[in-house]
Amino acid sequence: MNVIEIKNLVKIYNDSEVKVHAVNGIDLNFQEGEFAAVVGPSGSGKTTFLNMVGGLDQPSEGQIMVGGTHVDQLKSSELINFRLRNIGFVFQAYNLIPVLTAKENVEFIMQLQGTPKKEREQRALELLKKVGLEGREDSRPSKLSGGQQQRVAVARALASKPKFVLADEPTANLDSKSTENLLDIMEELNKQEKITFIFSTHDQRVVNKARRVITLEDGKVISDVNRN
Amino acid sequence: MKTIFTMAWRNLWRNRRRTIITVASIFFGVLLSAYMTSMQEGSYAKMVDIVVKYYSGYIQVHHEDYWENKSINNTFDYSDSLVANIKAHKEVEMVFPRLESFALASSENLTKGAIIFGIEPEKEDQWTGLSSNISEGDYLSKDDKGVILGKGLAKYLKLGLGDTLVMISQGYHGISAAGKYPIRGLVKHVSPELNKMVVYMAIGQCQEFFSAPGKITSLVVNVRNNDAMHSALRKLKAEILSPYSVMSWEEMQPEIVQQIESDRLGGVIMKAILYIVIAFGILATIMMMIAERKREFGVMVAVGMQKLKLARILFIETLLIGILGVLAGIAVSYPIILIQEANPIPLTGQTAQVMEDFGFEPYMFFSSQSLVFTHQALIVFVIALVIGIYPLMAASRLNVIKSIRN
Amino acid sequence: MIWSVSWRNIWRNPVRSGVIIAAIAVGMFAGVFTTTFVKGWMNQRLEVGVETEVSYIQVHHPRFSDNYDLKMSIENGKAISEKILSIEGVDGASPRIVLQSMVSSAETGTGVKIIGVEPEQEKTTSNLYTYISEGDYFESVSRNPVVIGQKLAKKLNVKLHSKIVVTIQDANGNITAGAFRICGIFDTGNNMFEEMNLFVRYSDLRNLISMNEGIAHEITVHLTGQDKLDRVKSEIAAAYPVLEVQTWKEVTPELGYLNEIGDMYTYIFTVIILLALGFGIVNTMLMVVLERIKELGMLMAVGMAKLKVFGMIMLETVLLTLTGGVIGIILGVVLTMITSNSGIDLSMYAEGLEDMGYAAHIYPVLETKMVIIIAILVILTGIIASVYPARKALKYNPADALRIDM
Repeated sequence: MNVIEIKNLVKIYNDSEVKVHAVNGIDLNFQEGEFAAVVGPSGSGKTTFLNMVGGLDQPSEGQIMVGGTHVDQLKSSELINFRLRNIGFVFQAYNLIPVLTAKENVEFIMQLQGTPKKEREQRALELLKKVGLEGREDSRPSKLSGGQQQRVAVARALASKPKFVLADEPTANLDSKSTENLLDIMEELNKQEKITFIFSTHDQRVVNKARRVITLEDGKVISDVNRN
Repeated sequence: MKTIFTMAWRNLWRNRRRTIITVASIFFGVLLSAYMTSMQEGSYAKMVDIVVKYYSGYIQVHHEDYWENKSINNTFDYSDSLVANIKAHKEVEMVFPRLESFALASSENLTKGAIIFGIEPEKEDQWTGLSSNISEGDYLSKDDKGVILGKGLAKYLKLGLGDTLVMISQGYHGISAAGKYPIRGLVKHVSPELNKMVVYMAIGQCQEFFSAPGKITSLVVNVRNNDAMHSALRKLKAEILSPYSVMSWEEMQPEIVQQIESDRLGGVIMKAILYIVIAFGILATIMMMIAERKREFGVMVAVGMQKLKLARILFIETLLIGILGVLAGIAVSYPIILIQEANPIPLTGQTAQVMEDFGFEPYMFFSSQSLVFTHQALIVFVIALVIGIYPLMAASRLNVIKSIRN
Repeated sequence: MIWSVSWRNIWRNPVRSGVIIAAIAVGMFAGVFTTTFVKGWMNQRLEVGVETEVSYIQVHHPRFSDNYDLKMSIENGKAISEKILSIEGVDGASPRIVLQSMVSSAETGTGVKIIGVEPEQEKTTSNLYTYISEGDYFESVSRNPVVIGQKLAKKLNVKLHSKIVVTIQDANGNITAGAFRICGIFDTGNNMFEEMNLFVRYSDLRNLISMNEGIAHEITVHLTGQDKLDRVKSEIAAAYPVLEVQTWKEVTPELGYLNEIGDMYTYIFTVIILLALGFGIVNTMLMVVLERIKELGMLMAVGMAKLKVFGMIMLETVLLTLTGGVIGIILGVVLTMITSNSGIDLSMYAEGLEDMGYAAHIYPVLETKMVIIIAILVILTGIIASVYPARKALKYNPADALRIDM
């Protein structure tokens, strides 16, 4: 069962006179429970590609289907709602609302979805426990270490019960210990919840942990290694 | 010095939007305050004008008991030497006599109290321009046997040109005063209040009516302006003593002075609040500006710029914002006020009625005196100076390492 | 939860928020206090005007107000006055004889309105008798007593028990005069009223003008409350269709008008202050949005609808503004409550103010309506000021916002 189906994805930027084919025809499928890393140097189209997968950008040609829905055909306002209910995000930084506690940050996404209070609270505590932050629920991000903040972000990403989680360089600002820690947790959750994780990364440690590595160059997939 | 100035100027425009909004707030404040001040000063000037020009004159000389007790008995003899003494002062432009008192004015069936002005028609006209306010008929000629009525009074008594006015009063030393006078003309007096009560007659006729030959109630002394008045007043008070007394319009009508002062005070308070509020806004902006550029400052000082120089640049930035705001404000308010001055706003309806009841013309008058504008410039300048202390302190307290790290 | 987020966001930069809040607090404190101050002032004038001078309703012969012709009287005025007393809501009715005339003392004379009253009935419609500063209200002098205003007494230079002469035109067109003795002097703080009105006994005045017993030129009617005004007026008008029945608003429109104008001016003042504050608020929120661009980008990426983001920023702005507003309003209310008992002393401007009819001791008045309106204006300011910054926030593409570093 394909969670994500990408067919003939193309993105062209009209930068003054020069047309840039940032993404030049990509076909890819992702299944449930995958733990994949997308790698490639700057200019490879990795950023552009993942923006489209994440519903943050519209393709020029081609289609992206997530759970049966044509993401490429969604209008801007529909995209926001789609992301809310189907995609979990973990960014490199600025994941959390600084004025909310860890628990509130995780709850926030569920409140946007309209989940009732009791359920929200319960699930938030549950998730924070899963990422190993029991006892730190009422701390604000400024009181948490970099690694801890990223773990809250993971908990938040999962809170919305997404179809997949898109993690954009989640380990870039962390030291080696925290990185290992975070990756272990994400792998654990991936196996437990069977939620697809897609990483965009330069970090070798992440690549090593991933069970599938997709390499992009010049807007195309040049290698797709599946170690499952 | 030039570099500091150039850097400050360019810095302002790095964040155009913010600078424009801040300058706009000052512009707004200056515009409103100038407009308000102009309105206030315009109406005060008009009030003073009416009182001075059309009623009491700048200075009056009367019998020392007259002001407390405005009786026909407290009159004095017209004296050429006295007039000459007064005229000898260089500030004095004109001196003329008046016999002012009260009488019952009647037509056949109606009666009303009226103020009677016995005047020297030509001299009075020179000062007040009374003849140009004649709406019907003619102005008085010297020793005219007729009278001129205020339009409001004539309307009330239902009298017109050529009709006869009957006057009854109490004359000098209790002798009954009674007389009939043909109406020579009607005047639309500038003061709506006086309009309903005033009768002008040649001073000789007036003296005859009151059985007070050669007597006058006051010598009206006129000067160029209020400043001249103060210096003339000092001299005259020193020279002209008992049984006379010399008074300025401010002493004769302290209510007007108080009304003006209290209104001015009210205006000052309102403007103060406006400017305080704007000042806070500017402070907040300056604070944000500096917080945002902390890193940049750290770098500048690290590579060798003196903190003092940095402080000066920031201080000048603050001043420039103030200057821009003031210039913009004045540039826009000046022409607007000039136009308004030439075209006072006519008031209608209730407002007009209230104004007239208080004796003012139903218009909103404006003044374009320089103080209207210079005051705003001064206030904003002071505000900028005071707020400028913040960046000065921020610059001197700068911790280079901390600011670069963050 | 958006409320939590917005509120807490304000305190991320306590100093910056503090400055803006302080500015708004100062501005609204001024706004509230000015409003209560002016309101108290106008209210006093209104109350004195109605309770002392004009009363709630006046009834005249329809042609009386044209010229104050004494022949235009209400035939059985006294009887009608009795009947009016029985109308619900009426707690006082006073028939009066009203004439325009001249009054003179040994020293001088002037025009006044002479009002002949039945003292006991007059007391039910006017509280003038409580303002007697010297003497009494028609008690001590038995023959032709007169109650005179302090300003007028001064003008005529008379004291208690002095004699004054009233000169009028009677019903047959003859000029006649009567001597009256001063039994009381009143001081209402309204110089205009004091100078223009003289009170004598109905019977004494009627004798002087030789008119029939029972007539009245004016019937003043006192009500238990302002809310009864229109109803009682229509009742009286229905019962006596030939007569002219007017509320105080029609007799002296300026009274009510000044009250409304006063309100309007203070609201305009508050709005202007809020506008000035608006600049600072917009600037601040623009900064806030810019600082948080990544956070906002993240929110939109993660699935927060643009409308919600807009709302969040608007809410933050409104809460910021309201905090300052509430503090300012509370301060204003507190000061009002403190001064509403002791009053504010403007006696140094007493003469000028009283000349315009205003008391020189002011008691600010708090009306819930005012506070609510000001609070609403504050909220509106927050909403309007938030629009521009909030729109700016939405313009950023979440993808761009997050990747700005790259």
